[in-house]
Amino acid sequence: MNLEPGLAHYLVVSAALFALGLLGLITRRNAVQALMGVELMLNSANINLVAFNRFGTGGIDGQVFGTFVIVVAAAEVAVALALVLTLYRARRTPNLDAATSLRG
Amino acid sequence: MDALLESLARSLPEVIVCLGLLLVVVLDAAGGSARRAIPSLSILTLLLALGAAFRDGGAPVATWSGMLAADPLSTLLRSLVLLGALLVLLAFDLGRSRELKGLGLGEFHALVLAVTFACLLLAGANDLVMVYLALEMVSIPSYVLVAYLKRDPRSNEAALKYLLFGAASSGAMLYGLSFVYGLAGTTSIPGVSAALAGGLPAASTFGLWLSALLVFAGFGFKVAAVPFHFWCPDAYEGAPTPVAAFLSVVPKTAGFAVMLRFCYEALSLQRGGPLALVEIVDWPQVLMWISVATMTLGNVAALTQTNMKRLLAYSSIAHAGYVMMGVVAMSEDGGRGVLVYLFTYVLMNLGAFGVVAAIHGADGTFDLRDYAGLHRRQPLLALAMAVFLLSLMGLPPFVGFFGKFYVFAAVIAHGPEYYWYAAVGAVNAAVAAYYYFRVMRAMVVDVEAAETPAMAVGGREALALAALAAFNLLPTLAWGRVDEWTRAAMVLLPR
Amino acid sequence: MTASAFVFWVLATIVLGSAAVVVLSRSLINSAFALLATFAGVAGFYVLLGADFLAAVQFLVYVGGILILLVFGVMLTHRIQDLDLRAEARQLVPGLFVAAGVFALLTAVATRTPWAQGPGRELSATTADIGRAFLGKYLLPFEAASILLLVALIGAALIVRKREDA
Repeated sequence: MNLEPGLAHYLVVSAALFALGLLGLITRRNAVQALMGVELMLNSANINLVAFNRFGTGGIDGQVFGTFVIVVAAAEVAVALALVLTLYRARRTPNLDAATSLRG
Repeated sequence: MDALLESLARSLPEVIVCLGLLLVVVLDAAGGSARRAIPSLSILTLLLALGAAFRDGGAPVATWSGMLAADPLSTLLRSLVLLGALLVLLAFDLGRSRELKGLGLGEFHALVLAVTFACLLLAGANDLVMVYLALEMVSIPSYVLVAYLKRDPRSNEAALKYLLFGAASSGAMLYGLSFVYGLAGTTSIPGVSAALAGGLPAASTFGLWLSALLVFAGFGFKVAAVPFHFWCPDAYEGAPTPVAAFLSVVPKTAGFAVMLRFCYEALSLQRGGPLALVEIVDWPQVLMWISVATMTLGNVAALTQTNMKRLLAYSSIAHAGYVMMGVVAMSEDGGRGVLVYLFTYVLMNLGAFGVVAAIHGADGTFDLRDYAGLHRRQPLLALAMAVFLLSLMGLPPFVGFFGKFYVFAAVIAHGPEYYWYAAVGAVNAAVAAYYYFRVMRAMVVDVEAAETPAMAVGGREALALAALAAFNLLPTLAWGRVDEWTRAAMVLLPR
Repeated sequence: MTASAFVFWVLATIVLGSAAVVVLSRSLINSAFALLATFAGVAGFYVLLGADFLAAVQFLVYVGGILILLVFGVMLTHRIQDLDLRAEARQLVPGLFVAAGVFALLTAVATRTPWAQGPGRELSATTADIGRAFLGKYLLPFEAASILLLVALIGAALIVRKREDA
């Protein structure tokens, strides 16, 4: 096994990170923890973008793309936490299952 | 510098909406009497932008260093986005709305303009970076709009579910886009197309497949296609009615815009003639199954709904399934079918939501059972609703017929292997007719005369609904123009 | 094994180990602190990959901004006096199967696909290049992102504001 990190190594780590993020998203009842799962998924995609940039395409496009992803993540988390806080204020719980006044 | 000026000139609608948005934010912050100008200002902004979009007739070029495509397709789609947003602001009397009573409207207009701005970018997005950013710029203000009803905890819950769904599907899409970047070595959509046209090693087919699937997750979320539709009924029920109406047309149009461009440009080859598949990645097959599932599930779920907002939510899911038929056909006719369908859908769906909002404004109910006796209490409103429902059914001479006609014709023209697909669509249209008729029957059920006071509908709403009902018939008289318009739009960016 | 290979494997262990804690821990506070390690580890990857600017952005925005917000979220949605910040999971076993399947699929694609061959990017400072890209090729997304941030700010303030204005 080649221990020297190449493109495939980064992609496999990123795949594992994506899978862990997905696991968090689908199994966690707490909205904040589900959000943490989403952040892991976004980070894994960013690793891909930077790794492709480094080993394959060159230029700077992958890194610029990654910067935009981070900006979007920040905006999304701000809105998400505002919603979680309001949910908590109304129901005293951040759990998604407890939010059941809508018929699913 | 010249390139920048040309980009600005070709993006005039975006520039106008962006400036209008900033002005609305400033006026809202100024407070006092300045706030009263906001509704007129945002309508004026959209009118000006629509005018600018109509005037744009230059040669197809890539603007903003390849970020956006300024071509007839993006011009038409941008016009549709602006038309939808404008009709929402005109048709819903926000000041009289029961739901929005006591809530400031400054932010509402700012958020609507922000979503519209992002939809304009999405309609022309010609680079994967722009696709991702614009898609998120549509989503994030949409979450806030769904959460607008502070007194109703359902509004907030719906928004949180919407956000988690949206974040997950856009995360999956981003992962797919990163693979596309790795495969093609570029983020520009024409660049991806060129790289794929150059021929990839057979070993990359699997990767391309998976990337396409992941990217479709993001698009599917935006147009509320199965299995990414779960947020839709909850979001429409929790959101204020004007927001539900807005979300059901404007972001959906933009979602189909980006789907059309990605599928027809990046994933297809245009060798002068008909579109051909890239390698053996048979994306129309995938989209066809998504489309079949979407229309079937949407229609079946709509059968049992009694809440009108949920019924229209499932109906809008089903319509996304029909629109997808045009994309699956993978031909210029299919693309035109998508455009025609989206155009007619804006008119009929906003009309139906407008009637629902008017009834809620008078009676405070979304329940279908409370619609009984509507034909006596407000015959014209019942008549308008009947027009919108018949149009949604796809019956001639209403415009809804043309949308269905174009997409079905495109699918059938594709060849015998799609006949069964068209048949599934036809059966679905019949199922849909059943629940639209159910709404009509509910309106004409007689109730005791004593229980039927006349229903008051505001003058502005009445005018808007009458105009929308007329729009569901009038284009039929001059259909050649609409036909010509969509034909010209299906000229993609030259390579 | 070279130094960079050693650093890579250490970082990979940190990132995946802490991500597993984020996802599997029953305590929200532990999750939040593990997330700190994940974000820092990913920033380390960026350094290894020669993306120095992005590593700095990752630290400033993710660790300094997003993580702090998430910790606020954890703290504000739990009464501090009951220290039992438990978070329950549902359908953990099916979830594990789905995640394992996704990992296998993505790994197969990652290792078998012939990715685009190019010159690659040699390790050099990136800040100037990114700055030029933002004000050149990516001018429109750069400006659009500022609108996004403005709208997100307005939206978040609107949602949490308690009093309705008449």
